[in-house]
Amino acid sequence: MVDFTKLEQEITNSLSKVTDLESLKECRIKYLGKKGEISLLMKELANLSGEDRKTQAEILNTLKNKTLGLIEDKTEELNDKNLNEKLSSETLDVTLPVSSSLGSIHPITQVIEEVVTIFGDLDFYVAEGPEVETDYNNFTALNTSEHHPARQMHDTFYVETQTDNMQNVLRTHTSPVQIRSMLEHKPPIRLIAPGKTFRCDNDQTHSPMFHQVEGLVIDQESNMSHLKGCLEIFLKTFFETDKLKMRFRPSHFPFTEPSAEVDIGYTKKGNQLIIGEGDDWLEILGCGMVHPKVLQNVNIDPNSFQGYAFGMGIERLAMLKYGISDLRTFFECDLRWNKHYGFSPLNFPSLIRDLS
Amino acid sequence: MKFTYSWLKEHLETKHQYNEVVDKLTAIGLEVESAQDTGLAYKDFIVGQVLEEEKHPNADKLKLCKVDIGREKVDVVCGAPNVTKGMKVVYAPVGSIIPVNQMKIKAAKIRGAESYGMMCSEYELGISNEHDGIISLEEDAEVGSSFADSSGMNDILIEIGITPNRQDCLGVLGVARDLAAAGVGKLKNREFKEEKGSFVSPIKIEIQDYDMCPAFAGSYIKNVKNVASPDWLQKKLKSIGLRPISALVDITNYVMFDQNRPLHVYDADKVKGKIIVRSAQDGESFKALDENTYNLKNGMCTISDEEKVLGLGGIMGGESTGCNLDTINVLLESAIFDNVNTARTGRDLSILSDARYRFERGIDPRSTLEGIHYATQLILEICGGECSEIVLSGKISDSLNTIDISCKNIVKRLGLDITNDEIILILNSLGFGAKKNGESIHCTIPSWRQDIHGEADISEEIIRIKGYENIPTSNIRAISKVNKHILNSSQKTISKAKHFIASEGYNEFITFSFSDSKKSNFFGEVEKLKIINPISEELDILRPSLIPNLLGSIKKNIARGIDSLSIFEAGSQFSSTTPEDQINSICGMKYGLRNSKTWRNEKKEFDIFDVKNDLLNVINHLVPGNKKISISDEAPSWYHPGRSGKIILNKKIEIGYFGELHPRIANKFKIKTRVNLFELMIDNVPLTEKKTTNKPQLILSDFQSTTRDFAFILDKDVKSSDLIKAALNVDTKIIKSAEIFDLFEDKSLGNDKKSMAIKVILQSDEKTLDENDINSLSSKIVEAIEKSTSGTVRS
Repeated sequence: MVDFTKLEQEITNSLSKVTDLESLKECRIKYLGKKGEISLLMKELANLSGEDRKTQAEILNTLKNKTLGLIEDKTEELNDKNLNEKLSSETLDVTLPVSSSLGSIHPITQVIEEVVTIFGDLDFYVAEGPEVETDYNNFTALNTSEHHPARQMHDTFYVETQTDNMQNVLRTHTSPVQIRSMLEHKPPIRLIAPGKTFRCDNDQTHSPMFHQVEGLVIDQESNMSHLKGCLEIFLKTFFETDKLKMRFRPSHFPFTEPSAEVDIGYTKKGNQLIIGEGDDWLEILGCGMVHPKVLQNVNIDPNSFQGYAFGMGIERLAMLKYGISDLRTFFECDLRWNKHYGFSPLNFPSLIRDLS
Repeated sequence: MKFTYSWLKEHLETKHQYNEVVDKLTAIGLEVESAQDTGLAYKDFIVGQVLEEEKHPNADKLKLCKVDIGREKVDVVCGAPNVTKGMKVVYAPVGSIIPVNQMKIKAAKIRGAESYGMMCSEYELGISNEHDGIISLEEDAEVGSSFADSSGMNDILIEIGITPNRQDCLGVLGVARDLAAAGVGKLKNREFKEEKGSFVSPIKIEIQDYDMCPAFAGSYIKNVKNVASPDWLQKKLKSIGLRPISALVDITNYVMFDQNRPLHVYDADKVKGKIIVRSAQDGESFKALDENTYNLKNGMCTISDEEKVLGLGGIMGGESTGCNLDTINVLLESAIFDNVNTARTGRDLSILSDARYRFERGIDPRSTLEGIHYATQLILEICGGECSEIVLSGKISDSLNTIDISCKNIVKRLGLDITNDEIILILNSLGFGAKKNGESIHCTIPSWRQDIHGEADISEEIIRIKGYENIPTSNIRAISKVNKHILNSSQKTISKAKHFIASEGYNEFITFSFSDSKKSNFFGEVEKLKIINPISEELDILRPSLIPNLLGSIKKNIARGIDSLSIFEAGSQFSSTTPEDQINSICGMKYGLRNSKTWRNEKKEFDIFDVKNDLLNVINHLVPGNKKISISDEAPSWYHPGRSGKIILNKKIEIGYFGELHPRIANKFKIKTRVNLFELMIDNVPLTEKKTTNKPQLILSDFQSTTRDFAFILDKDVKSSDLIKAALNVDTKIIKSAEIFDLFEDKSLGNDKKSMAIKVILQSDEKTLDENDINSLSSKIVEAIEKSTSGTVRS
């Protein structure tokens, strides 16, 4: 008779010594394979009879099941061990740097989009005009005759082509878009016109190219109080502060009457400008009621229609809002600057999410 | 314009504090650019008197002085040669700061002698360059009093910006008049005395062109003694930064800055015959007081005598008749010159002068006679002599323009409730002589206001004085909507493109719309793009393309040590300098490593397929849905001829180019690295408005799909697009896609050969394809590709 206890002991012993899946497999074959010890003993049962066969079969089955259980436990143990070894060998230095694949949007584009978002909400459409303008659209139609002293303050660039015997110019402001738009559309008109402008001036605080945004409203009722209301909403929304203080000051532009310059209140803390606090004033834009002569020049009857216009520098808005100190850096194309002052391309200015 | 507060008060009687007055200036449109306390630097200085002076025992050039400064007597060591006993001096006590060098006075021992404080020269106080001796004050200066008070240094220098319309405020008198209207004081009455001459001027005045010069008044003064101006006049001119010259010249300057009345004084003995106001003739030249010689042209207004040009009317006098200290007889001019003519002449000759500045903005005609009488008086007072009767040639218009305004219109324009009475009050304070006339108000425009022409101008006057802060704020949302769209399709396309391209890793740059003709001739006809007055030689044309400026920026960034860069610009480019010839374009550029400064082993440089990929992605973003895109190798000449392509949308729209920059251009820009770029012709993107928000119906096949790979040996110049086209055309319904997945060249394939492999996905919408279907299709595909490319399938 086989010594089952010894066999069981032997199986337990050899399994406990197994340290890898290969030897475990060998072990399994040795005992449970087709020619394994337990399998052979099972076959031999056929030679027994009666009670013996029944008793031995029971014992063998128990032994077989126990062995299977042990092998299963061992398999799991070894898998675990293998996995742990694999894990520790796969450890990476997670602090290694990765690089961003996003580029950036220029602050000028960002500010123009912010301005468009705010005025779009106030029902202003975006109009455009060419960078080369006729003398008439840039000056004469805007009530600035050839010898008007204001013309000399503009430092105009001239090009070699002419329109109506007058040299064409690089537009010195976005105001000629007013003229183009009024010739194209009948009132009511409500538009803004952002774009590039040019003056023959290049120093610390001037760039020969810069950006402006023009605003124009013509209808039967818009007056200076609407102008004030419009600019108040704009400035508070743009600078993202309800505390913004605004001051209208008389000024002069040939194409508006009355004309005003608008200052906003600010204070300086260290090198930082804080808009909306303090008692100092900063000029931010020019505006006024459209001059009746300008309306006449575009065949709009100034007795029936009136309205207001305003214009401001995009770079100035950007500098004040985003703390950029030097005008000329906008066009220097220094990648470090663009990365620092630029905006995420996935950021679209919005009044329901964030403006900036 | 600059003036001092004390000068202003000569015309304005006010009880208001100076800061209220300064605030009011800005509030009425005379923007205060600066206001500085001129006495501040002198606040510590005291009037002292030298009681004793003796030679310093240890130094030849120094003196020991005892100085009475009122509260005490102090010892001061002084090196000035002019110090004498009894002299009244400016004493700087210990602790005070010397204006000229910001040195702080300390108690010191000088060669063994104690010295407390210093006695100052004009140089040290920053008053003049006089540093040979210390200041000797007038005898009546009170010992112990503040030097700033006793010398009139306690003043405020105010500088205001005058807008081109406010010609009336180019004199202190005009500023005072405006302030008085705004309620901060009362304009002082000026005593106007007509100077009755005792003889007839020997110099006649003839005006040949009354359009250029409507009126010319002259006063002949004989036997004057031109001297240095008296103290009060010198101080006045110095206070606003002018250099006193001589009494005759200083008087004309003073009257100009005080009353906005330009004058000129001629040495009468140098005038030959009569004065003739006439147009210059082409070729005439003239040496002006600024010592420059100007070549004159017909149409310029000259003041001439019978021999030569003496001056340019309203702009500048000439050297030949200038006054000096030997001048005995003078002719004083007070005239009116046409503003347009003055502006044109001044601009053509590039002469900036205080007279031109005033005449081109328009001058008060009534100041002509007032000014000449006043200046004549001053000359007689200061220089003595005897004056002629005033001669007036031409005519000074007496009549004043009038205008009727409606209160209703004013209210409608300003959005401010204001009564008839208040309007009349304001206008009268400004000198408009406003009267109620039925429903409207009748205004007489004062002679000094050249800028008032219509109701709109009057509305500005009213709100300026009433105060802009009184305009209410109205809600503009209450007015009904007028616009259907905020952005048009083109604007939306550009904005979408910018954000998308930036999201692909490109940084947006903005460069000038100008560029350098010498570096732009690769991209267009630079002769057609010239700027007449460029800011510099390197920015002398409008850019024919975005490329040259972006290449310039690439060069700068390479120099800054940046080894990998992706940039783009969206902007205008030009084909001529007419307003119509401007288009929008977007250009993206890349150079360097795809993964800059990475620790990974992927140090591969950008190539044309990077930019091609980015360009196709943005086109897909801008033109979603069904479209046909084809690519040819015909890119513009600025691309590498073998490494560039053109993208055609829907068979005919040239929508973009991509490729490597032509090495010749890279050379010209001295860029050594390869630059890959794309251009998106954004204006060519179809701007069809959406007809429906629905997308086309999606049909998905549930039958099994099969993938088959084929490899071919091909001639090197066979294009992958030919393979794909041939495969797809076999059965456009069942062949769902065909893609290139492998490409290599090897000698074993033969010379000028390559191997290209294509993966084809087969799927029917009607049934599961069986082995026969698949085999039959496969052989058709192989056959079609072999036929169209003359290649052979690899087995």
